[in-house]
Amino acid sequence: MATTTFAWIVLLCPLVGTILIGGSFKVLKGRTAGVIGTAVIGLAFAFAIATLISLLGHGPQQRELTSSVWDYARTLNIDARMSILVDPLSVFMMLVVTGVSMLIHLYSVAYMASDRGYTRFFAYLNFFVFSMLLLVLAANFILLIAGWAFVGAASYMLISFWYRRTTATKAGLKAFVINVVGDVGLVLGTFFIFGHTGTVDFVKTFHTVPHVFVRDSPDLVAGAMFLLVGAFAKSAQVPLHTWLPDAMEGPTPVSALIHAATMVTAGVYIIARMHVIFELAPAAADVGAIIGGATLLIAASIGLVVTDLKRVIAYSTMSQIGYMVMAVSVGAYSAGLYHLMTHAFFKALLFMAAGSVISAMGGVQSLDRMGGFRKAMPFTFGAFLIGGLALCGLPPFSGWLSKDDIIGFLDHRGGGFLILGVVGYVGTLMTAIYTFRMIFRTFFGEPVPEARELQEGHLHHVDVPVNPANGEVEELDVGFPGPEHHIAERAMPMKVAMSGLALLAIVGGVAQVPGVDHALSSFLDTTFADSTIIRDEHSTSAAWIGLIIGAAIALAGIGIAYRVWVVAPGTSAKLIERFAPIHKFLINKWYFDEAIDFLIVRPTLWFGRFGNTAIERVLVAGVITGGTVSIVRACGALVRRAQTGFLRYYAAAVLAGITLTALYFLITSS
Amino acid sequence: MSLSILIWLPLVVALVGTALPRAWVGRWNALGAVVTLGIAISFLARFSTGRAGLQFVTDKVWISELGIHYKLGLDGLNVLLVVLTALLFSVSFAWSARREWDRPQLFYFHLGLAESAVLGAFCAQDLALFVTLFDLMLIPFYFLTGMWGSGDRVRATTKLVIYTLVGSFLMLVAAIATGVLASDQHGTPLTFVFSALRALPLSHTSQEWIFLCFALAFLVKMPLVPFHGWLPDAYKSMPTPAVAVFSGVLSKVAAYGFLRVVLTLFPYASVHYQTLILLISLVSIIYATALAFTTNDTRLVVAYSSVAQLGFITLGIFSLRPTGSQGALLQMVNHGLVTAPLFFIVAALASRAGGSEDLREMGGIAFRAPMLASLFLIVGLATLAIPGTSNFVGEFLILLGVFQSKLAVSVIAFLGVIGAAYYALRLYIRSMHNRVGPSVQSREVEPRELIGIVPLVAVILALALFPRFGLERSERTVQATVAPAQLLAGSHPAAQALRDARLNGFFLAASSERGRP
Amino acid sequence: MTIVGHVPLVASTHIKGPHIDWLALSPIVVLTIGALVVLLVGLLGSSAARRRVVPALTLLTLGLSIGFEVARFKHDNSIISGALQVDDLALVLDLIFSSAAIAAVLLSWRGRAPEEAGHGEYHSLLLFSVLGMAILVSSTNLVTLFLGFELLSIPLYVLCASEARREGSLESGLKYLVIGSVGSATLAYGLALIYGATGSMDYTVIAATVSKGGLLGGVLTDPMLLTGIALVIVGFAFKASVAPFHQWTPDVYEGAPTPITAFMATATKAAAIGIFLRFFDVAAIGAQNQWAPWLAALAAFTIIVGNVGALGQSSLKRMLAYSGVGQAGYMLSGVVVGTQLGIQATVFYLAAYLLINLAAFAVIVARQRESADGDDISALAGLGARNPGLAWAMTIAMLALAGIPGTVGFIGKFYLIRALVAGSYTWLGIAIVIGSMISLGYYLRVVATIWMRRAPEIPVDRTPGLVLTPTGPLPAIAGGSPEADAELGPGFDGEHGGADALEAGQMAQPEVAIVALVCAVATVFFGILPQPLFHLVSHAGSAITGLF
Repeated sequence: MATTTFAWIVLLCPLVGTILIGGSFKVLKGRTAGVIGTAVIGLAFAFAIATLISLLGHGPQQRELTSSVWDYARTLNIDARMSILVDPLSVFMMLVVTGVSMLIHLYSVAYMASDRGYTRFFAYLNFFVFSMLLLVLAANFILLIAGWAFVGAASYMLISFWYRRTTATKAGLKAFVINVVGDVGLVLGTFFIFGHTGTVDFVKTFHTVPHVFVRDSPDLVAGAMFLLVGAFAKSAQVPLHTWLPDAMEGPTPVSALIHAATMVTAGVYIIARMHVIFELAPAAADVGAIIGGATLLIAASIGLVVTDLKRVIAYSTMSQIGYMVMAVSVGAYSAGLYHLMTHAFFKALLFMAAGSVISAMGGVQSLDRMGGFRKAMPFTFGAFLIGGLALCGLPPFSGWLSKDDIIGFLDHRGGGFLILGVVGYVGTLMTAIYTFRMIFRTFFGEPVPEARELQEGHLHHVDVPVNPANGEVEELDVGFPGPEHHIAERAMPMKVAMSGLALLAIVGGVAQVPGVDHALSSFLDTTFADSTIIRDEHSTSAAWIGLIIGAAIALAGIGIAYRVWVVAPGTSAKLIERFAPIHKFLINKWYFDEAIDFLIVRPTLWFGRFGNTAIERVLVAGVITGGTVSIVRACGALVRRAQTGFLRYYAAAVLAGITLTALYFLITSS
Repeated sequence: MSLSILIWLPLVVALVGTALPRAWVGRWNALGAVVTLGIAISFLARFSTGRAGLQFVTDKVWISELGIHYKLGLDGLNVLLVVLTALLFSVSFAWSARREWDRPQLFYFHLGLAESAVLGAFCAQDLALFVTLFDLMLIPFYFLTGMWGSGDRVRATTKLVIYTLVGSFLMLVAAIATGVLASDQHGTPLTFVFSALRALPLSHTSQEWIFLCFALAFLVKMPLVPFHGWLPDAYKSMPTPAVAVFSGVLSKVAAYGFLRVVLTLFPYASVHYQTLILLISLVSIIYATALAFTTNDTRLVVAYSSVAQLGFITLGIFSLRPTGSQGALLQMVNHGLVTAPLFFIVAALASRAGGSEDLREMGGIAFRAPMLASLFLIVGLATLAIPGTSNFVGEFLILLGVFQSKLAVSVIAFLGVIGAAYYALRLYIRSMHNRVGPSVQSREVEPRELIGIVPLVAVILALALFPRFGLERSERTVQATVAPAQLLAGSHPAAQALRDARLNGFFLAASSERGRP
Repeated sequence: MTIVGHVPLVASTHIKGPHIDWLALSPIVVLTIGALVVLLVGLLGSSAARRRVVPALTLLTLGLSIGFEVARFKHDNSIISGALQVDDLALVLDLIFSSAAIAAVLLSWRGRAPEEAGHGEYHSLLLFSVLGMAILVSSTNLVTLFLGFELLSIPLYVLCASEARREGSLESGLKYLVIGSVGSATLAYGLALIYGATGSMDYTVIAATVSKGGLLGGVLTDPMLLTGIALVIVGFAFKASVAPFHQWTPDVYEGAPTPITAFMATATKAAAIGIFLRFFDVAAIGAQNQWAPWLAALAAFTIIVGNVGALGQSSLKRMLAYSGVGQAGYMLSGVVVGTQLGIQATVFYLAAYLLINLAAFAVIVARQRESADGDDISALAGLGARNPGLAWAMTIAMLALAGIPGTVGFIGKFYLIRALVAGSYTWLGIAIVIGSMISLGYYLRVVATIWMRRAPEIPVDRTPGLVLTPTGPLPAIAGGSPEADAELGPGFDGEHGGADALEAGQMAQPEVAIVALVCAVATVFFGILPQPLFHLVSHAGSAITGLF
């Protein structure tokens, strides 16, 4: 079979799953839906591997294949076909997406077991995977945007999966609207580029762009900037990031899959995909790099103070994506994608572990209420620890190699990029601190009642579940995952999924080890062959120096965390009151939400209300309609008043008429 | 088989229906509507895609003294709209047939008359005939709203009719003037046939005022801001099947009129007033979106969303680019396909929220109605033109056209795209999700409700996969339609030379304009 | 006489009066004879005979006249040495008069007016009035013009007052008489001036002088002639109830017996517009560039006044009176352009107007006899449910008056506007449609009452608000002020109607229902297939030669 055929099958599997599960939601009993869902994704993963193998069958230069099945929206001069592009980049993304999704589906089979919306959940989840694959396989802008929007929709559905929670529906709406802003960015970007290239097909575009655009030509920069808007909205980069923390309203597997491993990295993917454009528009590329760096720091700084377990991980995700965006913007494509992959592993792992903890806490997510779970949940602790170490970037974990690959590249490009390199190191330090803040506060110290209860072998169960966000009492028909919870220690599927990811988090780094191998970069090379940025692998020694520095910084960070939260637990309180204003600033997430609310949301709604109450009533109904009517009515009244019924008045009118008529004729004649 | 059968069948069926007992009349009319749909589809099937010209032409002299022909025909502009009309009407008939109506014979008579008039207006290839049917199609809705409506229905329906006829009557004068002046300025016998008039361009001065009259009529009918004064009351009090077809099809006749009449007959004026119309559309998009944000009346959310959508459609037409008009044409079909089911869904919601159509009374309806929820979600996402649906393709083409002619306008128009996401989901969330409303009785959707929704959702999904189906038939015709204006706008190869030629032509015409001394 | 005076030598050889083509004169002759016969038969003893025979004879007469009129088509000849011109224009108009009269007879078949005024008198007066109209519109000579004018008016004065026991009727007759005579006086004076200025009674001579005057410098400067024309306009304007000479119309229409109102609304208007056409497009055509603007102004003014006046009227007859004023404006604008097209359009509109108004008035007559509310709009409430036939008739009439497509009213407006645009009077066309927009306000109100309002369960109590002290300053017919109408509504023709009459149903009066339905059906039919009407009026247009 042709390579592209495999790819088509990969794309179809989750779609079939969606239709199957969604269509037969009435008959599916027990965990069948979960099994189906996981199975189709597993199938997709298998076919993804098949695609990879058959792609490797081609020579390095022939690894860019497109396949079109029908004219999707071809009209006039727009060549939008239903076509996919299979090249190393898309295959790479395909593998990551299907692989991680498979494990997370597996996890969910147990985690969501007692949720009333079990079937619905897997229908959505499969739909998401389909959309994500469409996004990475699309061979033209139209389909890319379609996939782009579909993942947005899927993300919305899953964020507000527990739709009786007003917080959840709000968060979903927010996420969706911001994602639409991203879509609009993509569309406008497409317009700018299409205006010159006259094609929406990727391959054609990338071949035409260098000929129709000069370096940094305004239209190209504008187009690239708008594409960046899309990327930022999807990848939660400042200032379009505010939806991601709220997105934690969704079930934990969703956070793991969509808001950590796959969807949020779409921004990184698109910059890499459009690298031809960005390299011709360095201005835009630099903006990307700077925003990436900024997000990295801002998110990390917030992560230091947030007390909601899932939100800490969410901010960490933002900051890690900051690394990737930075990387792909400056041209470190393979490094960026490498980090994308490893991050997918360990971040998904972290979320799964967190989910397990939250289950043990009976739905409570606040770090302040947690502690001492180390003995109660040894497996979860292990998983969390592995994920954390990988995240901090300690040898030999995968994160260590991938993150420092990025920083190394920055240093290597030198110049202004050195600053970004430093930013990267600062980020490393903060990452280490907030990560181990989580770990220490969750697993060390005095066991909380829930932990003790668990040690006695009984899983804590709340009688009246409340929404952690606003303390609202949950409605159990559609609420927090069902009446009873599931933890990794007791649910085999969760255990399997987590161990799988843990393994990957440890050894994932082998894909690319300075001086040892560069499998990934050489595989991706086909896609980025036309990159003009210096691509001579910087010297192994330099790389290793960088790695060591990184590890050292990470260790320092862990040390600080240990000092603050284990050795002298009171320290953090002291710090908080010492730096109260800073803490307030951080705890309020740099006031981004407030600013957006004040600058955009409120004015819009005010305008709407003003329109409904004032303009509609006064202007439209009052002046335009009412005014005309009343004028006509007034004339009517006038005529009727003249109609007294008295002949003398009539006579007067007649006389006037006669005089006027006569006068008219006499005047006009002379 | 001639188009006349297609057009007049609904009226005949309805007339026969008046003689039937009330138990049968509903099914009888539904059957008739479905047969009409079948005929329409057969025309679509026999429509040859490649050609630009008219097909299935019927041309008889209607009133020789006035040079009015009874000329019908299909081309890329109207073939899909005709099918859409037949589809929406048959859905409405079927939906109504499953319900009890006071004086049903009369009800279905008016509905049938409406269908005939609308189909006729779409097929008419003679300006006078078009105007006649354009005005006529309003009358049945006067009765439908006034007799079977709710709330302050008489006031609402009177407002509706007067508002719309104010525009239409001016258009009548303009239409007559078009024919008469054209024959005067070129010394030809009086005619109103489009193809003939196209060959007799009017002088600039005449084009300008005539354009304004037509524009007013169409803008009121759509409606666009600030001519929407009739909309809230009328939409609120119309019976569901009536409002479904009204917003689904009748508003399109106006947009179609811009393409069929204005762009081809008054190209100079179209260019001259391009900015004006673009601004009106832009204001409508933004303003209607803002209104949809905040109103709590579910029907009004849908109503204002249609205003915004029609703003986009007009925007596309007056981009004076083939892409824009192409998108507008596709969007007309798409919008008809989403707005009609939305109204049926609103009816379903109201029946679960204790009869109230107020968002504040709703909430949590999704729980026992997963099927309704999914259908609503699909329609809702299509309404906000999520990429991957045909609606997005339409919007994409529209905005691309505008982008090519007036960049700033399109960038602002995107605000409407973002807004749509908000109000569409707000409608969905506040009715289906969140805490259960006070008087909400959630139950699964019933067959008699599905009649109104499922067929249209099926078409939406099909079009989402094959938008080209909606595009390929119109390509040629659209290009031919937009060409004259495009030439004058100078946005067309070799425009300059042709423009000079035209201008000379116009001067000659203008000199002989005064008519008789 | 003048002719004979001119040729004494010839006369000496063989003396004979002017040659008279009796065949050509036949419609008029028939009407004259018929009127006299009816008057005589009216003296019969048995009231039953009178009730049946007299109207039957009247119908027969009118039928015959129609027959002759149709027969005389296409031989256009002047008779009685240029005193009359029975050409196709005249004949078409005669058809309209006769049909209107037939309708009037049918509507008053069971009415009170004939009873009170005596059948013979009533019907013969009707016939005389038709005769007067026939003479008027075929006059080509100032004398015959005035003759016809008076012959049509005087019987109507009487007919208006024929329900002698009702103040309303009497007052209406009186008012009509007074104001009508003012009109006639003005006309007479105008004619005199014209005769003085041109020295001839004959249109052709006048036309010659006018156009001669018109030729030098394009404008007519003879003040005498101009004043004459001005006064003639006013005189005609009275009859056509053109604003500001319309004010008698609502009061008279409301007071007069409804069948007579119907007759006046259709036939009289047709006659007045007809003479406008005849005089201004033949005699005064030379000065068109002088009178056309003024007529146009009058037309526009009339359109506005009539249509806004009709708003908020609760008496249907008053409402139709005002709407008639507005419609007169439309028709006058057809005169303004002074083209064959204009004439055709005007005549077409007259024919359309005849059908539509007869339908409307027939329904009013029926309702007056059935319901307690007389001609008040509330009498129509819920009619759609109780009597679909009448309801549809009224609905179609109203929509047609508003000019909705599918009715002959729409075609008529279309034709008028087409003529106006061709005559470069587009702005007047716009005035017409603006008038129609306003008119929707009251036409739709009627339709809404018919279909969308419930019938009042309990008959409205009869307020004795109508009893008037002779010295009371208030006229019996209060002005159009709604409140006055309101108190007028119930008590109005209280003698009959009332709850008992509600049972009567429309079957008690088939002829009324027939008139209503026939006219309504015709309205729709000609609205869809107007070809026959077009053929009819194309004769009328071509009758007057020398126009564009």
